[in-house]
Amino acid sequence: MRKALLFFFINIFLINKSFALIEVDITRGNLDPLPIAISPLHVDIKSENYEGIKIKDLGEDISKIIEDNFRATGLFNPLKKEAFVQKPDIAHLKPRFEDWRLIKAQALVTGKLLVLDGKLKVEFRLWDLAAAKEMTALAFTTTPSNWRRVAHIISDKIYERLTGEEGYFDTRIIYVSESGPKEQRVKKLAIMDQDGANTKYLTLGNELVLTPRFNPTNQMVTYMSYFRNMPRVYLLDIETGTQEVVGNFPGMTFAPRFSPDGKKIVMSFAKDGNSDIYTMDLDTRVVERITDHSSIDTSPSFSPDGKFIAFNSDRSGLQQIYVMRSDGSEVKRITFGNGIYGTPVWSPRGDLIAFTKMRKGSFYIGVMRVDGSGERLLTENYYQEAPSWSPNGRVLVFYRETKSGLKGEGFSAKLWSIDITGYNERRLKTETDASDPSWSSLLTK
Amino acid sequence: MIRSLIYSITFHSLLVLLTILSLPFMLREPIDLPPIVSVELIQITDKTSIPYAPKARKIIEETKKKEEERLVSEQAPPAAKAKEKPDRIPLPNEKKEEKQIIKKKQNPEEVKPEIRQSSEFEKKEIVDTNQIAALIDKAKEVEAVKKKEKEKITQSSQKNSFATGLTLSQEDALRAQIFGCWSVPLGLPYDKDLLVRIKLQLKKDGTIIKSEILDHQRMNTPGQKFYKVLAESALRAVRLCQPLKVPPTGYDKWKNLQLNFNPAEMLEG
Amino acid sequence: MMFNKNLKNILLVIFATLVLSACSTAKKSGNIDGDVYTGKETVEYLASGVPDRVFFATNKSSLTTAARETLRKQATYLRKNKNLNVTIEGHADERGTREYNLALGERRANAARDYLMTYGISGNRIAVISYGKEKPVNPAGTPLAWSQNRRSVTVKVN
Repeated sequence: MRKALLFFFINIFLINKSFALIEVDITRGNLDPLPIAISPLHVDIKSENYEGIKIKDLGEDISKIIEDNFRATGLFNPLKKEAFVQKPDIAHLKPRFEDWRLIKAQALVTGKLLVLDGKLKVEFRLWDLAAAKEMTALAFTTTPSNWRRVAHIISDKIYERLTGEEGYFDTRIIYVSESGPKEQRVKKLAIMDQDGANTKYLTLGNELVLTPRFNPTNQMVTYMSYFRNMPRVYLLDIETGTQEVVGNFPGMTFAPRFSPDGKKIVMSFAKDGNSDIYTMDLDTRVVERITDHSSIDTSPSFSPDGKFIAFNSDRSGLQQIYVMRSDGSEVKRITFGNGIYGTPVWSPRGDLIAFTKMRKGSFYIGVMRVDGSGERLLTENYYQEAPSWSPNGRVLVFYRETKSGLKGEGFSAKLWSIDITGYNERRLKTETDASDPSWSSLLTK
Repeated sequence: MIRSLIYSITFHSLLVLLTILSLPFMLREPIDLPPIVSVELIQITDKTSIPYAPKARKIIEETKKKEEERLVSEQAPPAAKAKEKPDRIPLPNEKKEEKQIIKKKQNPEEVKPEIRQSSEFEKKEIVDTNQIAALIDKAKEVEAVKKKEKEKITQSSQKNSFATGLTLSQEDALRAQIFGCWSVPLGLPYDKDLLVRIKLQLKKDGTIIKSEILDHQRMNTPGQKFYKVLAESALRAVRLCQPLKVPPTGYDKWKNLQLNFNPAEMLEG
Repeated sequence: MMFNKNLKNILLVIFATLVLSACSTAKKSGNIDGDVYTGKETVEYLASGVPDRVFFATNKSSLTTAARETLRKQATYLRKNKNLNVTIEGHADERGTREYNLALGERRANAARDYLMTYGISGNRIAVISYGKEKPVNPAGTPLAWSQNRRSVTVKVN
């Protein structure tokens, strides 16, 4: 009987315990882009005029840039301003959270700006509307002509706060601007902001230029030029405009890239029908041969720690991707899939390699792990190649050539970007046709 | 001795039986309420926990829209037809469709009939979305294993929830409500171990008295930015969902509630 | 009657166009042997009877029989004109990555150069340059155009 009683008590105890805390697993949610309201920045009435800038519209203009940046990510859904429920200045002081929630916004960006004594002062706040609290707030002071960059920097801060990873808006893209018929393309180096604004041309188009790439500080560019009909790798200082040939090679050098510390250029040198990979130290000018094989070894790309180089080679018969130590030892083939692989580019996070793949008359941009496993093809087209990573390793920019007819009419080359998830493919705005894009790192860290 | 044991066993089984019988009986009422029933359609999908349910949900939404547009048009009972061509059901991802169109100028007419096909499902079949969802993905074979795993987990949690006093449909109603409120941060890496546990204290009407993240210190640890982003999104979801859809009775059982937010499966798919 | 006659004429014209176009396409497809262009459409001449270019198969830099014959003619011509220097331009079609095609063009130009050298032409007289896929002769997106673009061209320098 006593035992029975015990049993009874245990039973009751168990039941009680099981009532104690209900746990519910939430494994699914809404996968739509996050609704975010970006209020125009309030322009302080004390603001003075500044040459060439419409101060009155500056608040709208800055918020428009932020909005465009966020829409382009595919992760956010900036809401229409017509629905906004509060004036910018009041919202910036203290939003009426419940009103903003009514238009289904989950986050709100507010801000104000002041132009005084030739200085632009901008501050912004990011609000969590559900929690009814401020998530982050910052202020910047700069020259008014820098207003676009301020908009990009604000975008980066908000992006980082809301996604947990660095942004990529305060960046530039260098590319080859193209014009004219395909048989006689005129190609110039061009540089623009990531959103297509502020395009500048760095060469005149007198000679063929190809494959520009930024150095880590974005001050220098290495590229290939047919100056005086000598195809060579060049180094260009963007600020000063000075250029020089890289190394003194008795033949064509091409496919240059910087090492992650910016001290070396890795490139291919072609001699007697054989292309191998070399590096040149920019300080000491010492040239080192990295590969020595009677095949075409080209498109080298350093890993972000500088310890490895990925490249493509046709030593197996067809173009495939290989990885080796940066001194040329331990060469390993990493692609074994059907098709031809080229242009490996190591991601800034170090965990992926982006590449171009050719198979059955189509060109793909894809990513895989650095050992070649986990290949994912992101986009397929008639012709596209040369991916370049956004500095946070989330987006790839590449170029795509299309023709409207079989005879080559309507030929065009454009820059495109795609998320490494394979979603959010979109064309980048460029003034002219464009190819060979290279994405800079963040201009301000 | 043996007699007392028998007494005890009969007594207890009676007690257990009573609990089993009385609980669902008491809680049958809310199921008849229209709002919950309407969510119920989704819940059943959710309950079976197929990884593709979000996609399925989108299909359902699309289908519903289409149906509203075409209420007048007669529709042949398409059950067999739909099963014939499971591959033809489009992934309801707009971006992907856009991509295809840009890609090859694939005759856009081809896309439309696909969409229409999905609209041919009738509402009753939507209940069966779990099957559809499984059919949608071509990689279902690979996922089949996963699905089984999931089912196991759900089963165990079924028992759990039963023991805790929420019926399946109640738990699912709550889950479905939060699914709708939770904007998953899409930029999160899917390979990281990200699980956010939130403990809630609720009022009788389902509003929140207190919400607390269980691993709160992790939020402000350097290098845990993704965790912080996820935790904040989970908190937002709970707040936006207020009042939560709680049962009208049994307040003592659910006044303290723990929600475990895990996006891994979604971000992977 | 008048209408009928017109119709007849139109039909005749259409028929003629069809026949002609059939002819031309037939001729074109007949100009590729395997993968290598064998026609004359894009070919220019260093001198009478000396073609300036040879063609290659996809991703290949090996010389075909026809290419060797052309290069032997070029060698004979260069031996006769001792003061003439040349540059061999190597080209690739558009169906490859830019950087690899630069290397491939260089390899093709060197294949031609090596062959000329085995026929007694000094290497000092022959420069090579690769344009990769940057200078196609035919911008079309067809196998024929690609085969015409996979080439090495011998160009007089002085």
